[in-house]
Amino acid sequence: MYRIEIKGPRELQNEVLDKELCSACGACTNLCPYIDMVAGRAVMIEPCNLSEGKCYDFCPRTYIDVPTLDNDLFGTYRSDLRIGSNIMVIKARARDDEIKSAAQYGGVVSALVTYALESGEIEAAVLAGASIDQINPKPTVVRNRSDVLQCAGSKYIVCPTITEVLEAAKKTTGKIGLVGTPCQVTSVRKMQASKFETAADKIGLVIGLFCTWALLPQAQDYIKDLVGSVNLVKFDVPPPPANMFIIETETKKVEVSLDEMRRFIMPACNVCFDMTSEFADISVGTVEGAADWNTVIVRTGFGKELFRQAREAGIIETAPLEKERLDHLYEASLNRKKKVLKEMESKKISCLIIREEDRSKLLS
Amino acid sequence: MSYIGIDEPGKRMLLMGNEAIARGALEAGVHFCSGYPGNPASEILTTLSDVAKEFDSYVEWSVNEIVALEAAGAAAISGLRALTAMKNLGADVCADFLMTANLSGTKGGFVLVTGDDPSAHSTTSELDTRNYARFAGIPLLEPATTQEAKDMTNWAFDLSEELEVICMIRTVTRLSHSRGVVTLGPIKPEKRSANFGFQDMWTSGSSRITCMLHSILHEKLKKAQAKFEESKFNWYVGKDDADFIIVTSGTGWLYSLEAVKLLELEEDVGILKLGTTWPLPEKLIASHLRHAKEVLFVEETDPFLEQNVKVLAADLAIEGFGPIRFYGKKSNSIRGEFGAGTGELDVDIVIQALTEIKELTYVPTEKEYISKAQELLSSIVPSRTMSFCAGCPHRASLWAIKKALKWDGRDGIVTGDIGCYSLAMLPTGFSVARTLQCMGAGIGTANGFGNLRRFGLNKPVVALTGDSTFYHACIPALINARWNGANLLLVVLDNNTTAMTGHQPHPGSGVNALGQSSSKVLIENICKGIGVEVQVCDPFNLDEAVQNLYEMLQTDGTKVMIFRHACPLAFPQEKKVRVYVDQDKCIGEECGCAKFCTRVFGCPGNIWDYEEGKAKIDETICNGCGFCAELCPEEAIIIEEAA
Repeated sequence: MYRIEIKGPRELQNEVLDKELCSACGACTNLCPYIDMVAGRAVMIEPCNLSEGKCYDFCPRTYIDVPTLDNDLFGTYRSDLRIGSNIMVIKARARDDEIKSAAQYGGVVSALVTYALESGEIEAAVLAGASIDQINPKPTVVRNRSDVLQCAGSKYIVCPTITEVLEAAKKTTGKIGLVGTPCQVTSVRKMQASKFETAADKIGLVIGLFCTWALLPQAQDYIKDLVGSVNLVKFDVPPPPANMFIIETETKKVEVSLDEMRRFIMPACNVCFDMTSEFADISVGTVEGAADWNTVIVRTGFGKELFRQAREAGIIETAPLEKERLDHLYEASLNRKKKVLKEMESKKISCLIIREEDRSKLLS
Repeated sequence: MSYIGIDEPGKRMLLMGNEAIARGALEAGVHFCSGYPGNPASEILTTLSDVAKEFDSYVEWSVNEIVALEAAGAAAISGLRALTAMKNLGADVCADFLMTANLSGTKGGFVLVTGDDPSAHSTTSELDTRNYARFAGIPLLEPATTQEAKDMTNWAFDLSEELEVICMIRTVTRLSHSRGVVTLGPIKPEKRSANFGFQDMWTSGSSRITCMLHSILHEKLKKAQAKFEESKFNWYVGKDDADFIIVTSGTGWLYSLEAVKLLELEEDVGILKLGTTWPLPEKLIASHLRHAKEVLFVEETDPFLEQNVKVLAADLAIEGFGPIRFYGKKSNSIRGEFGAGTGELDVDIVIQALTEIKELTYVPTEKEYISKAQELLSSIVPSRTMSFCAGCPHRASLWAIKKALKWDGRDGIVTGDIGCYSLAMLPTGFSVARTLQCMGAGIGTANGFGNLRRFGLNKPVVALTGDSTFYHACIPALINARWNGANLLLVVLDNNTTAMTGHQPHPGSGVNALGQSSSKVLIENICKGIGVEVQVCDPFNLDEAVQNLYEMLQTDGTKVMIFRHACPLAFPQEKKVRVYVDQDKCIGEECGCAKFCTRVFGCPGNIWDYEEGKAKIDETICNGCGFCAELCPEEAIIIEEAA
């Protein structure tokens, strides 16, 4: 067993915030009067006097105890070092035309959340919703199909979704769901595993997104300068080798070199080991070269059951993921892990706890 | 009829020093009074304004001390009796006018009262204003007792009127704020018409005219000196040929008397008590220097008498005086906790000096007694720091500033200013302010900090001011900031009163010193006129306050945020509510709160229930503002409308 030392806000400041490792997931905010989420960073107004705190415990950058989290979720350590434990990897898309047209790709996330709400599996869900300026996403609590549709579409600017999760859980009698990035999924799983008492046991469905980076909110000024004050429709990053960031407005489509946008990538994303939300019930991403499909990784038994019901109810349709594409997913995820582990070693960041044999395998 | 205006000559009353000064002015038939509130002088004007109607006099709180003195000067040159009162640092503010008004002269009696604050109990400096009298070349009186405070003020009007020069009275905290028995004199109200005629001129001129007026001022001082030689405010006690004399003024007189008595030195030590300290009554002093071999000076703060008497002694040497050994501040004989020339005088300091000089042993208090008393006190007196009052809006404003600066993340600089909110430097103000100088220096220094980017200091600058301080001293600096492009955010903590000095009205209050309603001078209108961005916000709407501040800090320029919420002491909440803690909801010291209300927010109304380990409300001092309920992360603080 690994011995994890739970520390307090001062260490959160020293080990995470001062080192610009905060991914703005939102797990440490809305817990107390001492930490606020501001423009893509958690800000310590004043550390409280406690030596152990939820803020430190929930943060996905203080420590990630992979063996314990795997064990809690899957009953065993991961069988797959490349993309984490999984039951199946498959191609899927929503069948509902309204969802399909609102969604960025196959609409699986919107379809599954809607299904979970409508079937009573969950009472509410927290998603990254569009904000009024259409650029900065805002955590949004959804309770029905039309709420979900309002939130459809990929967000590239960081959204502190987790700030709302415990609040929403407190206010709900039933279970709640969540759609989040890998860091957000990790923090929610840490909440559930924590010795601190929270409403995290009410989290009933965790849908994770594939993610390689998110942009700092400062990107919004740059984007506004590019397109002017028009309504944005969506952002898109087509798969390599396009190297493009596409901004679609009601009237035009602006293409920017991805290198131009890279300066707005959150520094915290450079030390993220997890590309596919490895602790989710179901992870969802794109399918390269097939814009109307999603890649779906079904991970937990609960995820499997929900996915089966949704398919049987005709909410989604599925198809096998081509081997070539699957291999490419494995390769991309593994390469990321190798790169990030090296980065962590060089920066002496020791938050990731994995088995020693895996560490040496990845570093070799 | 108010007690201060009782017309019963010979009646003995217990009066505060400041009341005695006001009574002296009433006895002298003062017509025009002005001033700016500041401890320890505030009650002089308050007392006079209470009886203004009764005596048909005019009293105003002026916007600042120089306007106060200028206005009073105009009344005096028009033939009226005029008084201006202020604290010591106010003398700095009005010094510019004082340095020409001395030359320009007066017709009616014109008296300036300055309240010094040795030990700086409620001031940012121990400034000794007697130096201004010498600096300006004007007569100076120093009362030693409450009775003298009244009598000297009364006489100062006669003296000023006769010599046609402004006269100064220096009081100190210990005299202004202590009470003593005063025998009243007759009140001589004299109806006068103000007159400033077609031919009248009032100026210190320039060039040859100034030099001529300067010479006339010296002549006036000589006349004053001649009067001082005979003044009843100067006297000597002790043996006529004592070798050792104490020369003292002000509070030093009673301390010296007591010290000499306690040490049983009445036979050896004479005391020369001076009430008229500039110009010095040189002949009187010389008559006692003649028999003295040793002289000890006992006076508050600066070695004013000490230096001036030594100059006199140097002149007298050729006449066979001396040699005299002098003791005082320079010899380090009269010294307090922080050394000579600092802190307040007291009897023990005089005793210490006398026992050292005379090689006596005298133990005023047993050491064991002191340690026992301290031990006993520490067990029953809780240790506490200075704090904003219960329900004070400044606490909310400063928490908003703290948050906005943390959100900003650039380690912004907060410059403080003079008022209740000077406490912004202490934990009760979350220690946000890092500078504190004089009235208006918050935005004045921010003009500099806000223009240092070219030298590598690139931090947001927040200047604090109160409402009264804004009118008093911030407007030129705000104009300067706009003119020279200083990047600063001025936060005006507007509580609709001059709270720190006792809730005197100001130009934004809608009322004047006489209690008459006046049209409000709105701070936001001034700011708009200057052409700077201005917002008004209630600091109790914390989210809005923080968000607006934060947004204002994100762009360059000179900006003003007015945090407006009335002082609850001056304007108690009308709707009575009961605020209490639902202890079932309170999580106390646990993660998620960690005693935020008592440990960090620190309103005196939020207290800790040691038995339960939970928060509670001290309902006797809670004023029901309900702000803590907004901050409580567990919503455990409940506001209930009182039945």
